Amino acid sequence: MFLVIIFSLSAFLAVAGALSVTFSKNLIHACVYLLFSLVGVAGLYLTLGAEFVAATQLVVYVGGVVVLLLFAIMLTGGTNLHHVTSRFGLESTPLMGNLRTYLMGVVTAVLLVVVLCNVLQGSMTGALVSENKFSSTVEQIGVKLLTDHILAFEISSVLLLGALVGAAIIARPHRSSESEN
Amino acid sequence: MGIIPYIVVSCVLFVCGIIVMIARKNIIGILLGIELVLNAAALNFVTFTKFNNLNLDGHIFALFIILVAAAEAAVGLAIVIRFFQVRESVHIDSATQLQS
Repeated sequence: MFLVIIFSLSAFLAVAGALSVTFSKNLIHACVYLLFSLVGVAGLYLTLGAEFVAATQLVVYVGGVVVLLLFAIMLTGGTNLHHVTSRFGLESTPLMGNLRTYLMGVVTAVLLVVVLCNVLQGSMTGALVSENKFSSTVEQIGVKLLTDHILAFEISSVLLLGALVGAAIIARPHRSSESEN
Repeated sequence: MGIIPYIVVSCVLFVCGIIVMIARKNIIGILLGIELVLNAAALNFVTFTKFNNLNLDGHIFALFIILVAAAEAAVGLAIVIRFFQVRESVHIDSATQLQS
C-alpha cells in the first residue's frame, strides 16, 4: 500500500512535469518543470528498490544539470517574452515551437513508440513478477563497479575530465576581443 | 505493482522528450528534451532489472547514463554559450556553418 502511494505520487510528478516541459511557453518555467520530473523519476527509482541510483539522480540532476541549464538560459539572454500574434490570432512565443512543429513531434513520437512497443513486447511478457525483500544496494553496486565494470568506471573518469576541459575550452571568451587587446 | 505502470511512465517521458526535441526551436529547449529521453531510458533499465533479473547490471547502466547525461549537458551548454557569443542567437536554424 505504501509502495502504491509512493509510486502514484512519483509517477504523477514525473508525467505532469514532462507534459509541462513539453507545453510550457517559457524556457525557465520548462527548466523548473524538468526539475519536478526528475524528482519524480528519483521517487520511481526508490519504489524499484534502487536507492543508490535515486540518490545519484537527485545529486547529479537536481543539484547539477538543472542548475547548469538555468545558468545557460540566463547567459543566453533569458526568455525573450515579446509575444508574436500569428495570423490565427493566437499568441506565440518565438523559439518555443508552433502548431506545425508540435504536430511533427507528436507524429514522430507515436511512430517511435509503436516500433519500440513491438520490439519490447517479447521482454515485457517474459518479465517475471517478483517481490524481493528490501536490502541496501550500495555495497553490491560498489563491489560490482570496482570488479566487473572497472574498465567502464575508469573510462568514465577520463570522459568526465575530457568533458570538463572541453567545456572550459569551448566556452572561453571570444577570440576577436582578445586580439583587439 | 506490475511492470506495466513503470513502462507507461517511461513511455510518456520518452514521448514528451521526442516532442520537445522536434518542436522546440531553442537549442537549450532541445537539450531539455534530451534529458527527458535519457531519463526514460534509465528508468527502463532499472525497471527491467527489478522485474526480469535480479543482478544489478541495470542499476550500473543507469548510473552510467546519468554520468553521460551530465557530461553531455556540460559540453552541450558550453557549445550553446559559444554559439551565442558568435551568432547572438540560440535559434537552431541559425546554426548553418561550422566555422565562425
